[in-house]
Amino acid sequence: MTIRTLRDYGQHYRPRMACLKNVEVFVVEMQDPKSGVKGADQKLNVTIIPHVINGQDILAWIVTKMKVTTEEAQAFGTMLVAYGYIYPLQNHRKLVLVPDSTLYRFQTPYFWPVQKWPAEDIDYAIYLARRNIRKKGMLEPYEQQHYDNLHKWMNPKWDFIVMQATEQYKANKERKKPDRVVLDCQERAYWIVHRPPRRTHSAMDYGLDRLIDPNAEEVLTFDVVRRTNIFLTQALMRSAVKSSMSLTAFVKFVTTHHNHDPFLTTPVPSNPWITDSDEFWQLNSRSVDIPTKLSVERWVLSFWELISDPRGRVDFKLFLKKEHSAENMAFYEAAEEMRWGAASAIPEKSQFIFNTFLKPGAPRWINIDGRTMGLTVKGLVVPHRYVLDAAQTHIFLLMKKDTFYRYLKSPVHKDMQKRALVPAPHVFTDAQLEANVRNRNPGVSPILQWQQEEEEKAAAAVAARPIDVKAMVATNKLDRK
Amino acid sequence: MDGVLLSKLKNLIKKTVESSSTADHGASGEECKTMLDALNKVTACYRHLVIALGSTSDSQNLREELKKTRKKAQELAVANRNKLTELLKDKTTSKDDRAEYERLWVLFTSSMELLEVDMKRSLEIGQEFPLKVPTRHLIQTGMTGSTTTVAARAMSVQNMKYDADSNIDTADLKELQTEITQVGQMMEEMEMKVQVAPWAVEAKQEAGAELKSTLSVGNSSVGVISICEEDARSCPGDENCCVCIPNGTDSPYSPLL
Repeated sequence: MTIRTLRDYGQHYRPRMACLKNVEVFVVEMQDPKSGVKGADQKLNVTIIPHVINGQDILAWIVTKMKVTTEEAQAFGTMLVAYGYIYPLQNHRKLVLVPDSTLYRFQTPYFWPVQKWPAEDIDYAIYLARRNIRKKGMLEPYEQQHYDNLHKWMNPKWDFIVMQATEQYKANKERKKPDRVVLDCQERAYWIVHRPPRRTHSAMDYGLDRLIDPNAEEVLTFDVVRRTNIFLTQALMRSAVKSSMSLTAFVKFVTTHHNHDPFLTTPVPSNPWITDSDEFWQLNSRSVDIPTKLSVERWVLSFWELISDPRGRVDFKLFLKKEHSAENMAFYEAAEEMRWGAASAIPEKSQFIFNTFLKPGAPRWINIDGRTMGLTVKGLVVPHRYVLDAAQTHIFLLMKKDTFYRYLKSPVHKDMQKRALVPAPHVFTDAQLEANVRNRNPGVSPILQWQQEEEEKAAAAVAARPIDVKAMVATNKLDRK
Repeated sequence: MDGVLLSKLKNLIKKTVESSSTADHGASGEECKTMLDALNKVTACYRHLVIALGSTSDSQNLREELKKTRKKAQELAVANRNKLTELLKDKTTSKDDRAEYERLWVLFTSSMELLEVDMKRSLEIGQEFPLKVPTRHLIQTGMTGSTTTVAARAMSVQNMKYDADSNIDTADLKELQTEITQVGQMMEEMEMKVQVAPWAVEAKQEAGAELKSTLSVGNSSVGVISICEEDARSCPGDENCCVCIPNGTDSPYSPLL
């Protein structure tokens, strides 16, 4: 066995970083002592450190240089900070450009974000070990977490990390004080960009590693031209929808779903991905008593929305039970199960479905037209996953065109609309957000949820069986004495 | 500088020849450790010098320091490699010894990886920021001091002597490219010849070991003024700019080791 390590650092091409080459040219111009942003000296007790720039000056310079509005220049400046070309001296965790007298400094080229050299974990481990030495064991909580993690999984290299850290620490002490301050600030800024703490938004969103360089020019060989040709002829042969039609459909979709999209409108009470509080999911879960107003509005939009929302499906099934027409929904669910379930269970399920729903005189016989029924029964002789597709579509359309409208007018739904609650939006302080992170729990186990669903299904199946008169007489239930 | 290194190596060789055969492995283990420590020191200093490349503390001298440190690192690497391959190829070593040598091997390969990356980066940055143009555009990072002391530490000499030509930046880069390919080839060769599983090595140091190691270094207090050193406990998003001086003797010039 040959052990080979992947040491090819040049092959991690990240397409979103293609702008970096141009940004570097820009930054070099920006820091020019004559024509760039004017630098000043920073006075810290006794040391004086040069080359410090103002947020205001940076903004003004970008506006004059690129001839853009202040808002655009602000956005551009914030991008420069988020990439790590400039780092703030105060508030070093907030990587934004503040257009007042906050101080910034330029980052040394070694620490510039470059496409080919990702910030390796071993470098981070050495940096953390060195910081440990400097701060005498008092690392910040997120740094401590990283440290423990790295110690666990980079254990074979840990000796090397400790050795390097001590050596680098000693080498750093050889410099004079102002330089040491600058070195410390620089490196800390670099690692804040590449290993951001919570709620710091840095721009180093690497994405996936690619094996080819998307910026490289593609050589036009015969094969490339041939494949392009085939692609374009096939595209011409496809029937196209008029853009006016597709665009109006798109606009209609966006306007109807605008309030329900978590990117476009802030969800109430709060977005769980941002505030780490899962109340939003709990309020919209399957087993909640009273749903939120927003989800009830969503159910009205279309039958598909009603079916897709688990709470909505529960509501619809309640309505169907009252109308004594639950067999349609039960058949739909059974067909879905067969479609998505294991291949080994298909013969058994098809038998069950035939006995329960399709054979004449079945307990929960569904009402589909003769042609579809004939096709389905013939297909069930040799069942496969999609044998119930025709019947399922028919039932779906039946429910959509008939039952859905009756549901919308029903007292079940109207009552639900009245009772639906509007939760109050959360306002969390920073300390509470940290507490939320610590109190995150994994929620209800999916195994438990599946068991509950199975029990409910069994109960529904029992309840839907036709009443056996003889059995009831035998148990004296009909006796009026 | 070369003479110092040669004499060191000669002493080491003499020691190995003179020591008895039974103590052979123990002595060679010790030598390996000292050589690895030296390589480690040079790697750390090289990285420190490369960080300064392209900034306002860049200069003719820095390029020369880089070149000298690099050459020394390569010599040490070759010496280390020879020694370690010889030790690992020997089938008569005991299991403990073999585990120890594998650990040293992992240290060696990690050092070489860092060196390789730093060399590649110094090539790129060196090409981007040439020194011989009429207007240099070095980045104003705020570092203005010289890196002489760090380089002196790397070379284990008291004072650095500068004697390079004025076109060091262009001439040096060509050499650097060849050296990078050499290092790459060396590492591939090493992997082919020596089969050591890097994940099977257990580290001897536990978490936080670096804190103990620096207590013995006299000047353990850090005489550095840090900007915005916020409290370890309260770290909200917006804290004021605070300047704190950690307790301890304030000595801006630490003695050369």
